[in-house]
Amino acid sequence: MTQRASASLEFAFVCSLSAGLHARPASHLAEAANEFTSECFLTNLRTGSVASLKSVLAIISADVRQSDRCIVRISGADEQAAHATLLRFIEHVLPGFDVPLTVSAISGGGVLPRVLQIADVKCCIGSSVSSGIGQGKVMLLTGLTLPSALSERAIADRDLELGQIKRSIAAVRARIREKLAHSKSSTETAVLQADLAIASDVSLAQKLIEHVSQGKSAGRAVLEAGEFFINLLRRSDSDYIRERALDVEEICLQLLQEIYGVDFQAAPVELREPSVVVAETLAPQQLLGLDRRWLKALVLEHSGATSHAVVLARSLGIPTLVGVRNARLMLSPGQEVVVDAIRGFVVTQLSPAVQRFYEREQRTLALRQEYLPLQTTGPAITSDGRTVEVAANASSYEDLSLAFEHGADGIGLFRTEMAFLRRDHAPSEDEQFAIYSEAARVAHGRPVIIRTFDLGADKAAPYLNLPVEQNPFLGYRGVRIYAEHRELLQAQLRAILRASAFGNIQIMVPMISSLEQVVQFKMEISEAREDLARKRIAFRSDIRIGIMVEVPSAGFILDQLCAEVDFFSLGTNDLNQYFLAADRDNPKVTELSNVLHPGFLRFLKKIVQEIHDAGKWVGMCGEMAAEIRHLPLLVGLGLDEISLPAAGIPAVKSAISRLSAADCERALNEMMACREKAELEELLKQAQPSGSAQPLLSKELVLLGSESKNKEEAMQEIVDAFYIAGRTDDRRRLEEALWSREAGYSTGFGYGFAAPHCKTEAVTADTIGVLKLSRAIEWGSVDSEPVNMIILFAMREPHLANRHMQVFSKLARKLMNEEFRGHLLAIENAHDMATYLAQQLEISLH
Amino acid sequence: MKIVAVTACPTGIAHTYMAAARLEKVAKTLGYEIKVETQGAMGIENRLTENDIRQAKFAIFAVDIAVEERERFNGVKVIQVPLQEALKDPHSIFAKLQP
Repeated sequence: MTQRASASLEFAFVCSLSAGLHARPASHLAEAANEFTSECFLTNLRTGSVASLKSVLAIISADVRQSDRCIVRISGADEQAAHATLLRFIEHVLPGFDVPLTVSAISGGGVLPRVLQIADVKCCIGSSVSSGIGQGKVMLLTGLTLPSALSERAIADRDLELGQIKRSIAAVRARIREKLAHSKSSTETAVLQADLAIASDVSLAQKLIEHVSQGKSAGRAVLEAGEFFINLLRRSDSDYIRERALDVEEICLQLLQEIYGVDFQAAPVELREPSVVVAETLAPQQLLGLDRRWLKALVLEHSGATSHAVVLARSLGIPTLVGVRNARLMLSPGQEVVVDAIRGFVVTQLSPAVQRFYEREQRTLALRQEYLPLQTTGPAITSDGRTVEVAANASSYEDLSLAFEHGADGIGLFRTEMAFLRRDHAPSEDEQFAIYSEAARVAHGRPVIIRTFDLGADKAAPYLNLPVEQNPFLGYRGVRIYAEHRELLQAQLRAILRASAFGNIQIMVPMISSLEQVVQFKMEISEAREDLARKRIAFRSDIRIGIMVEVPSAGFILDQLCAEVDFFSLGTNDLNQYFLAADRDNPKVTELSNVLHPGFLRFLKKIVQEIHDAGKWVGMCGEMAAEIRHLPLLVGLGLDEISLPAAGIPAVKSAISRLSAADCERALNEMMACREKAELEELLKQAQPSGSAQPLLSKELVLLGSESKNKEEAMQEIVDAFYIAGRTDDRRRLEEALWSREAGYSTGFGYGFAAPHCKTEAVTADTIGVLKLSRAIEWGSVDSEPVNMIILFAMREPHLANRHMQVFSKLARKLMNEEFRGHLLAIENAHDMATYLAQQLEISLH
Repeated sequence: MKIVAVTACPTGIAHTYMAAARLEKVAKTLGYEIKVETQGAMGIENRLTENDIRQAKFAIFAVDIAVEERERFNGVKVIQVPLQEALKDPHSIFAKLQP
């Protein structure tokens, strides 16, 4: 195939590599070519581009794909040897580099709402760390910016700059070689080799020298040469080659660091229109440098949820996704995208269906913001005037914002174990401080009770080396392990104290069974205080200190404990199982581990009484508080606060307002005297508040004149209405439950009606929704007719105990009645519809 | 002619009861005497007694799941159809009732 040309040797070949002549073979090819002094050029006959075979970047930029015909020309002193070597390499070595192309386009079938699924949108998936939705043009934030102060500095001496370029290249190469020598895996070695090839690239060096010769500073030369190659590589259709742009960026960044020092301050990026900033990672000062008016969302490739920039983005309310793989490649600069940091993806094609979905979504979010607080703000006060604080239990940042969204008066229990588990080292003081101060900030002055770590054999962190135990609940856990892990405790106490400077933070210690433990714990707090005071770090000196009451012995030394602490919180799960000697996870004895035991109620009453007599505060954060039917008992006990998972708060607040404290006290006294469980249950039933916070049907859930265009949109519209009215916090789960029922066969039962339904805990209460369409839509009904009217049944309570099942079945039967259907179709406003249905089903709208 | 029927679907919230109502209505227009037991989310309702079943000429099962206490129907002629049939075309179910 080779032939002698006039001034050079040349040969032709056809590229057989399925991924084309990508970085790895290119770097080996360049290595081979660099063995010779002759000039070696490759011409891609498809594109006409000519590249030096001595430059990896040039070879990659030539974009040689599978089946492309190419010509190699060699001329110079050792051209014969070079020809033989390169020909052998291309014919025999190159085919060994064949790697299948990895497809990096991700489709988000699982997470996409149905409306978007059927619109066939493309998206990149990530994890949301700051909720919200933002739309704007992609702005890639590269590390490749000059130091702000030095960007336009005039250069004094061209040779000096040239020397700096050469020194930097040498230093970067030396550093990569050093890493190569210690490389532990073949993957790492391959990556480093590719990096080394770029750092050694002759084209790159040539470009750099060219720029400096034109009078540019070393830094600017790196910047411009970098941008030149990055743009060249980015234009490729091949994902593999586009990824090399990141390698070039990395090498150029290293060169800049050599020139200006590692921590140079990059010049701020200017935003001039609604923008979505896309970056590998972001420094807090970089984020602060962005114009907030135009910054609509952040997309980061890095996957940390606790980095400073992420914490900052949250506090600024910027929708943020992290862990979006190859975001800088998938998203092109200037491209209009929607960042959905509620569901965790970036939509890259804004078709009319997508635009319509997000217009509706913005409306839904705005309405929920308006509607939800109406239901939940303000304290819960019984009909006879006693205020009960209703707080939330939380274990993460997400729990916190959800808590206050649902009207929590505070955080009654902030569990800190999460940060300690599933990792191989303890969280640092700073990491914990970031979480706790965030909690203080989100709470806006409302109390946040932070419980120090409650770790034990059942919640083991590997670095604690906790022994395996027969019975971890009676073992080495909670406060009992603090003496052995003092450093861990001190770090946490310092973090909590530091956060106390930013809000109403309180400390609570778990598993207290004796006075000595409390005294010791307070000494630990004093030490942490002194430590901070020495370092002149701010904290609140009068921080409130409390204990969990979960070991029965604590309930019998309350006079002593009240002298030492400010508040108490009843951890009823453990307290009950220790009190009744019954394991709640053992099915044989679950019957016995029951908070509705007259003895247990008496015990609780005694505890609350004694704490109040001493003038101290007492709340409850155990599961007993999470079950709404227990509310008359809790109010009857006279608790100052009850703390439960956020979703239940609106219902609990509403129920408290419908209870009388005096009646509850009477009911509790009667229950404490009960001889039989059935009797106690009956009394509890009678003590329930009248009415309901969330009636089966309400006007907000009747939507008339819907403009939905298809089944997916209609279903989404009802689910959104549930969300706005606080009937669900998890739209995706509700939607999936409805669709999984629909997958059996369509719920379109004919006559233009459909009755979608589901049983799911994604709804906060049993609920009926109504949607009447302006234009009939396809539903796949049994009679093949389109649907005008949708009646949706969502059930939360378990089947057999369900109070509303009679209503559901009555409604189902009535829907078979032509006259009833005719009535529904004729009604023109939501209020009349709700009233008519309520009357027909004999239910209350309140 | 007396007929008994059972309706049941997996969720047992809506279709079980819709089918029951529909079968009752169509039976009436055709001049049959029918009693429909629902096996829904509330368990068995309007339970068919031994007497009901003994007197019935046919049993219609409009079900998507197994019928509870199936043994009660031993010795009765059973016409079983998917529940959807009772909503889609109940007349065709009754048309199958040939002695």
